[in-house]
Amino acid sequence: MNWRIVNEGTYSEPVQQALEEVLTDRLDRGEMDPTFRVWYRDRRAVPMGRFQAYADEVAVDYVEEHDIDVVRRITGGGAMYVEPGTVITYSMYVPRSEVPDDVEESYATLDRWVIDGLQEIGLDVEHEPLNDISHPDGKIGGSAQLRTGDAVLHHTTMSYDLDTEEMLRVLRIGEDKISDKAVKSAEKRVAVMRDYLDDTREEVIDALIDAFRDSYGGTAGSLTDEELSEAYELAEAKYATDEWNKKL
Amino acid sequence: MDGTGSVKVPDGKLVRVHATYDDRIESVRITGDFFLEPPEALADLEAALEGHPVDASEDDLREAVEGVEAQLIGFDAGDLAAATVEAVR
Repeated sequence: MNWRIVNEGTYSEPVQQALEEVLTDRLDRGEMDPTFRVWYRDRRAVPMGRFQAYADEVAVDYVEEHDIDVVRRITGGGAMYVEPGTVITYSMYVPRSEVPDDVEESYATLDRWVIDGLQEIGLDVEHEPLNDISHPDGKIGGSAQLRTGDAVLHHTTMSYDLDTEEMLRVLRIGEDKISDKAVKSAEKRVAVMRDYLDDTREEVIDALIDAFRDSYGGTAGSLTDEELSEAYELAEAKYATDEWNKKL
Repeated sequence: MDGTGSVKVPDGKLVRVHATYDDRIESVRITGDFFLEPPEALADLEAALEGHPVDASEDDLREAVEGVEAQLIGFDAGDLAAATVEAVR
């Protein structure tokens, strides 16, 4: 099995989320090699879990006023606030035959290399079931999965230097009507790598790619024109529409 | 009438049930930060909770949810039943 490693390409949030569906389906149909992809965003956004209600998760007036894209993912899980240079997001598109059937076990297995890679550069992290990457001070990141017949999508976002105060303005966990105690615990729950590391974000990404290669191998590659044009079309038809993003 | 019930699963996910009801549960919408495989089974879970009398027991609702072919991840049928009972209370 030869992994394609894609560490390039800056896209809007709707295109990023459309790529998840396009690439997972292509792997499912046997039209693509297993792929590891590092994301580069062009603006801040909120990727929201597939089953979450828009108005429950984001401060609606604030995100509209500040032009923050709120995009429903194809995967379940929770909403996150993301900024271009302060989070690290990556995806693995894995053949289902390579992934444990047990969901809880599969999160632990697919997070293993990233835990190893972060520990290697001195970050005290561990996998915390079901789907968190935790530091003793709080949650550094989280993963989400989708399974199709023959493919598993496993994508992860981690805070490198996230503005957690802004996060509390964007997500409803920061609202006044939620008690101070709840806000404090939400703040406490997020730990950012930059508090513990001198490495730049690029250096952390390089270390992660090295760690990925140690476990899975792989060759640097690019997305094809076909994959990208399909994703741009799907973004316009689905992931940039209120019909999808605000359907719940 | 409309109502909402929610369950925060310890070390797990948040599940919210919004229900419209009269003497029966007419329509149900389930939201939250859980995982579900396949994702399309959400409509089946909602349908399984609909049509029951509003005073249906939590056990009956749980059994109805358990009849749906789906893998609930981060929550279970009992959580959905409990949230539904709260929504129509």
